[in-house]
Amino acid sequence: MTSFLAALIIGLGFGGLYALLGSGVVAAYKGSGVINFSHAAIAMYSAYTFNELRGGLAASSLDGGEPRATLVLPWIDVIPGDTINIPVKIGLGAAWPTFPAILLTLLVAGGLGLMMHFLVFRPLRNSPALGKVIGSVGVMIYLQAVAQLNFGSVNRRDEGVLPSGTAKNFLGLGADVGVDNFIIAGIALAVGGGLTALYHFTRFGVATRAADENEKGAVLLGYSPQRLAGFNWVLSAFTAGIAAVFFIQGPSLNQEQWSLFIVPALGAALIGNLKSIWMTTLGGLGLGMLQNGLTDVAERQAWWHDSIIGDLLPSGAVREVLPLLAVITVLFLQGDKLPIRGSVVERRQPRAPKPTNPLKSAVLPTFVVMVAINVFTGSWESNLTATLVAAIFMLSFVVVVGYLGQISLAQLTFGGVAAYAAIRFFSNGEKVRDFDLFAVQGLDLPSPLAFVLGVAVAVVAGVIVGLPAVRVRGVQLAVVTITAVLAFEALHFQNAYWTQDGARSNTAIELPNWFGADVSVQPLEGGATDRWQFSAFLLAWVIALAIGVANLRRGATGRRFLAVRANERAAAAAGIDVARTKLLGFGIGAGIAGIGGILLSYKLTSISPDSWNVFAGLALLAFAYLGGISSVSGALVGSMLVAGGLVDAITSLHLDSLNPEYFTLIGGVGLILTAILNPEGIAAGNFELWSHVIKPRLQGLVPSATAEPVGG
Amino acid sequence: MSTGETTRPMLETEGLTVTFGGLNANDKVDIVIPTGSFVGLIGPNGAGKTTFIDAITGFVSTSAGTATFDGESLLEVAPHKRAKRGLVRTFQSLELFEDLSVEDNLYAAADDPKWWGFLADMVWPTRSGKNDAVERAIEALELDEYRDALPRDLSHGQRKLVGVARALAADPKLILLDEPAAGLDTTESQLLGVRLRSFLDRGMTVFLIDHDMGLVLSVCDYIYVLDFGKIIAKGTPSEIRENPAVIKAYLGEEAGEIQAAGAAAAREAVGGGAGKAVAEAADEESAV
Repeated sequence: MTSFLAALIIGLGFGGLYALLGSGVVAAYKGSGVINFSHAAIAMYSAYTFNELRGGLAASSLDGGEPRATLVLPWIDVIPGDTINIPVKIGLGAAWPTFPAILLTLLVAGGLGLMMHFLVFRPLRNSPALGKVIGSVGVMIYLQAVAQLNFGSVNRRDEGVLPSGTAKNFLGLGADVGVDNFIIAGIALAVGGGLTALYHFTRFGVATRAADENEKGAVLLGYSPQRLAGFNWVLSAFTAGIAAVFFIQGPSLNQEQWSLFIVPALGAALIGNLKSIWMTTLGGLGLGMLQNGLTDVAERQAWWHDSIIGDLLPSGAVREVLPLLAVITVLFLQGDKLPIRGSVVERRQPRAPKPTNPLKSAVLPTFVVMVAINVFTGSWESNLTATLVAAIFMLSFVVVVGYLGQISLAQLTFGGVAAYAAIRFFSNGEKVRDFDLFAVQGLDLPSPLAFVLGVAVAVVAGVIVGLPAVRVRGVQLAVVTITAVLAFEALHFQNAYWTQDGARSNTAIELPNWFGADVSVQPLEGGATDRWQFSAFLLAWVIALAIGVANLRRGATGRRFLAVRANERAAAAAGIDVARTKLLGFGIGAGIAGIGGILLSYKLTSISPDSWNVFAGLALLAFAYLGGISSVSGALVGSMLVAGGLVDAITSLHLDSLNPEYFTLIGGVGLILTAILNPEGIAAGNFELWSHVIKPRLQGLVPSATAEPVGG
Repeated sequence: MSTGETTRPMLETEGLTVTFGGLNANDKVDIVIPTGSFVGLIGPNGAGKTTFIDAITGFVSTSAGTATFDGESLLEVAPHKRAKRGLVRTFQSLELFEDLSVEDNLYAAADDPKWWGFLADMVWPTRSGKNDAVERAIEALELDEYRDALPRDLSHGQRKLVGVARALAADPKLILLDEPAAGLDTTESQLLGVRLRSFLDRGMTVFLIDHDMGLVLSVCDYIYVLDFGKIIAKGTPSEIRENPAVIKAYLGEEAGEIQAAGAAAAREAVGGGAGKAVAEAADEESAV
């Protein structure tokens, strides 16, 4: 009990971080109506900035050099050659002392906030929820990639600015508590209190709240909602900067971990109902404390770690599961089965045109890919199979996000669920290759059966994640799904109970054999080129699923999906069971993603928890959106864009040593631009170009065959 | 237009009450809609008319009272199930499915999905163009040339018709129309009146809310008047026209007389197809 209490108190440190970040999320939401998924990425970039100003890597003992301060701006020098250089790294002399470094860090954070306002969210102000989510995911991907390129991927340690003392045997609880935990919590409370006062007692705050409630009314009173939004973005970014400066001594500094603090921060913000900064602050503190406290219980108490509870919910997963529980509880309590009358109607969604004849449209691409399979060798074949696998995931996004309009960030995770399940159904308990670390215990079922069962498990997972969608909609559902991704990762992929030793390393997969045909990607001893049998097997799946998803849009099911996407109230009035339709969509989407996941595991030959990582999932959504989220052709275009896909193969011809991070960076920028300029994606944009610009011109140039009989 | 027989009513509410934050938006509303009749509900803005439709279609929860539809209680029945039982509404703000063609809007309401339907769809999607209710609805509202158009490309008047057609496509026993004539011009409104009246011949029961007094008084068999959530009057159109409480609450004394005169003329126009000019003049008055 005493150790539990001590753990709770130590959790104040993380709690303070969540509270600060959560307050920033709420401030941005108040100003602009955007739930900013990139908020923790701002904190991440600010932390690097602070670290660089105080000497960067040289300041730590790893590097003997003289610590110098560098201001690293949040972009890269995109112009090749040295004739014109965009300034990126600005030397500022010897390492800066703490106080000026804090000020400049906050300035950089504020600048990021302003840039986001002017370059991303102001242009997106009239977009549907999906566009805004995509915009903020784009910013997150961009900041991650820029940080990778500008700061490298070495984990950094930073002493930070807070005193490192501990309170020995604090309150007689038998544990030493770091003083910094109290200070961070204190700062969070001060910032939370300050912001609360700001929103309640100043003209700016009252105007923001007025604009939040009724934008038109605020305009009539003479406030500019966009200027207010700009101020709130800066304010929000400041809280991220503060969090960065004071939390930097906590965990080691790397891009992914810091960007993922967004998940508990979103949990805190939802506890505050995206309105109350004070409740958010308390919620964040509570979440951090409970995480630490329950983790302590899970580690220490035998009734937990030696029982089924510990198997299903190991201590390492407590941290990821709590935000999910918090988010679901809050949203479920508030949500309504149908949106109330007069609630904001979703703005226009990307068009989902009805395919006319999918079978006919499939002929040419199929032929081209069949030729490619025979012609390609080496990395080209491998990029082709990567594109084919990605296409299947893109199709699952088309069903759930495109047709049904539910923002799911979890499709890759469903793929992982299916893959891990299929391996267990499939394995025979022997090592596949000599160098495998362990043998997977399994049921030794034939490949196709294991495949079907794996997909079935993914469908169940999809329906479970889809359950909150019955009451939660729009961007809040995106929050639920991203929280679910982390929970699945911790509860399933990294959980030895389910994935055995694969929880920490790679799980190898036996060579898949479908009805006597070996469809493995490479023979056991490895090979230079992916086997054509594997490529053809993938192609068959892609064709079948592409036609299936296109047909779905043409039939009654697609009609119901689009009706629900357009207007849930009207759908219910038309006799459509909205809840069931949503669950059906999630189930179909997860099933398709499950097929993609198992095929991806065939391609990888061994999988690890990292194969299904949240950022890989977000990148997939990004490229699905780039290609066109609501049509099959968009999915196919998107699949060519993924890192390691066909477009990548072409660009690497010219830029042979291209850092993959450039690809991610371009993806992030492209995503933001697509959300703003062309929400229907590349495929639809090109279709418009073809049918309205190029085709008429061509017909003008060439006297068409149909015109001749009329003349003669 | 008398139904004559003493069949059970299509819809009956007793003491129906809807409370929003301590305020009774509907206060002990008793309404009977006989099978095969055309009943109207009028009342000033904010009287609780749309709330009444919301309540009986399940879009808001009631705090007291009962509603019986075709002999069965509606209590705790989900909105989409009420629609499937034949209790279908339209929306004042239309709420069309903007991404679906006009035809698909209607099919969405007419479809009766099976659980395995999605599998069949992925392999061989259900063909449209075979559903009688949809075809009848398209014919009744003359939407044939707009089948493949998207709602956003239609005029406001046409969009209104699509809204009504979508409700018809669900093959309703009782259709609840929430201000179908709002925003229509006089001719469109009259034409709509004729069309709505023809629904009765298909064995449907019609319940109409509208602001267009000319329309309501001319097409309804029986009218309820709602004010501040309470029924303040009920009766045949001629009784309502002369009811002093109604004139006072809803029309204002002077306007009421003009309205009443206009409505009489309009009724003549709808019924006999003559005296159109008179009706138009009257309706122009009533629009004031």
